[in-house]
Amino acid sequence: MERKNVSSIDYLLLIPGVGFILLFIGSSIFITITQSFGVLSVTGKSQFTIENWKAIFHDKESLDSILFSLKIGLLSSVGTLLFAFPVALFLRKGGSGKRFLASLIKIPLFIPALVAAFLIINLISYHGIVNEALLALGIIKKPLRMLNDKFGWGVVAIQVWKNLPFVLLILSSSLASIRDDTIDAARNLGAGTFSVLFRIYVPLAMPGILVSMILMFIKAFGDFAIMSVAGPTYPPSIALRMRNTATLFQEWDKAAVLGVIIILTTLFITWLYSRLAEFVTGRK
Amino acid sequence: MSRLILKDLVKKFDNVAAVNHVSLEVEEGEFVTLLGPSGCGKTTTLRTIAGFYQPDEGEIYFNDRLMNNIPPAKRNTSMCFQSYALFPHMNVWDNIAFGLKMRKISQPEQKKRVAQALEMMSLSGMEKRMPGQLSGGQQQRVALARAIVTQPDILLFDEPLSNLDAKLRVQVRVEIKEMQKRLGITSIYVTHDQDEALAISDRIVVMNQGQIEQVGDPQSIYLHPMTSFVAGFIGLANILSGQVVARKENQVQLELPFGRFWAFAGGLRASVGDTVRFSFRPENVVQYREGSPNKVSATIQHAIFMGDTIDLFLDAKGTRLRARAESAAKLKPGDIAVFSIDETAFQFLE
Repeated sequence: MERKNVSSIDYLLLIPGVGFILLFIGSSIFITITQSFGVLSVTGKSQFTIENWKAIFHDKESLDSILFSLKIGLLSSVGTLLFAFPVALFLRKGGSGKRFLASLIKIPLFIPALVAAFLIINLISYHGIVNEALLALGIIKKPLRMLNDKFGWGVVAIQVWKNLPFVLLILSSSLASIRDDTIDAARNLGAGTFSVLFRIYVPLAMPGILVSMILMFIKAFGDFAIMSVAGPTYPPSIALRMRNTATLFQEWDKAAVLGVIIILTTLFITWLYSRLAEFVTGRK
Repeated sequence: MSRLILKDLVKKFDNVAAVNHVSLEVEEGEFVTLLGPSGCGKTTTLRTIAGFYQPDEGEIYFNDRLMNNIPPAKRNTSMCFQSYALFPHMNVWDNIAFGLKMRKISQPEQKKRVAQALEMMSLSGMEKRMPGQLSGGQQQRVALARAIVTQPDILLFDEPLSNLDAKLRVQVRVEIKEMQKRLGITSIYVTHDQDEALAISDRIVVMNQGQIEQVGDPQSIYLHPMTSFVAGFIGLANILSGQVVARKENQVQLELPFGRFWAFAGGLRASVGDTVRFSFRPENVVQYREGSPNKVSATIQHAIFMGDTIDLFLDAKGTRLRARAESAAKLKPGDIAVFSIDETAFQFLE
């Protein structure tokens, strides 16, 4: 690869973008971290302490919400991928109705998360459309609890529905960069449908798969709106718990601990998904 | 190794026949080239043989086996693509071993065969490289190694050399030919490059508008074109028509705007009074020497020095002709010179 000459003036161009991130995002992350250890605290006295961290790890509700959000994050990212990948494959191949399907599927992009949540509620609530239909057809005797259910399936369903088009866009561009010749070559060399999928499409689309899984996890893990409408009464999501800790109980330093946990978990999952991707594609 | 038989093959796209009733038999171990301009149906024919397209009519046989409904993965053909189509996420070794893995060949056998293929294509030592780290010529050789390692019944080439520079193209085409002769694999080669086709083929199938114009070995295709398309597409040709004004033994006399000429009739059935189409090559129109037949006097419009010859554009009483002169000849535009057309040069066209 040829290396282009970058002059010092070129770096000036970075200032508006990178400078903003460093100054505002960087400083707020820094303050969150110091606050979680009691330094630069906005409430109480400013002094280094690990009491806030101890308190969070001894607080059952906080721990439950961390695990609950983790579960929702993982299920939503995997779930969206499982729904989006076949659609992306279909759209790549084309065929009749491709444009119509592609635009139909983008509708959720234009609907804010909270509105989406209420839309889905109409479908899956206790007396919602799905339950009424299943009852009418005699498939179930008693309505199913899909909304505010303890497990959080309702939340996962809304996350998947809402983010499908977003993930689809990423996956489609990933799949579009695969040449038809490459697929033909694999078939010509004896690869059946299964081998073409797992030895060609998936490894070649892996960068897109990885990015969409990570972004989906971050969205679902830190989500506030959908969780507060469709989530279970207990445990609250980590974002809800954090809001409550900060504004309801006025414990900003403990909320900062939860904030740091969100950041660390996100970094960890990003790392984990990357290792997983390497494992699947067999590449280092 | 297989014989390949195409029977009355038709492939349509949106009701337009890309391949229109093509029939062809290719012997075991034969190297056959499909030659024609873009859009003539040669690539479609090739991809139908590979199984990427289903024929709308007609049959494809490998030996006695009807292949129409066999998926590409089960046909045991190997295709070399214009883009090479290497798997960008696999190193050279894994690219070459892919077909063997798909065929569930044992590990030791895979190793042996891949190593052989690497050796044969002088790629040893490159097995760990990724395709993106290779030059075009190296990628081409990896693609060839990947194609032959599975010991296919038929090798299919889709303009495999068109992305290489001119020198490498000549070198690789010799390598392909040698490899094919050594392995004796039946090969179908698609190209629009007539030089390539003439150099590499046992037989050439000239295609135009979805149909076969002429089939023959390179010499007969070049020396005895049967249609004006073949005459014009392969090499340079003067394609004219004129009236037969006399006939004696195996010669005919043709009336042209710039004179009367005697030509060997070959198998021509025309009788006096008929108008016939024919062609002759520029290299058969040479400077007149005492005793040469068929004198033509013409004005030189352009004289292009090509090194080994001079390419001439002539005006013979309003008819444009192409001719050749020796490179030492002193000819310049505007000169009037006398040429002669060899009686054996005339090829009568359908």
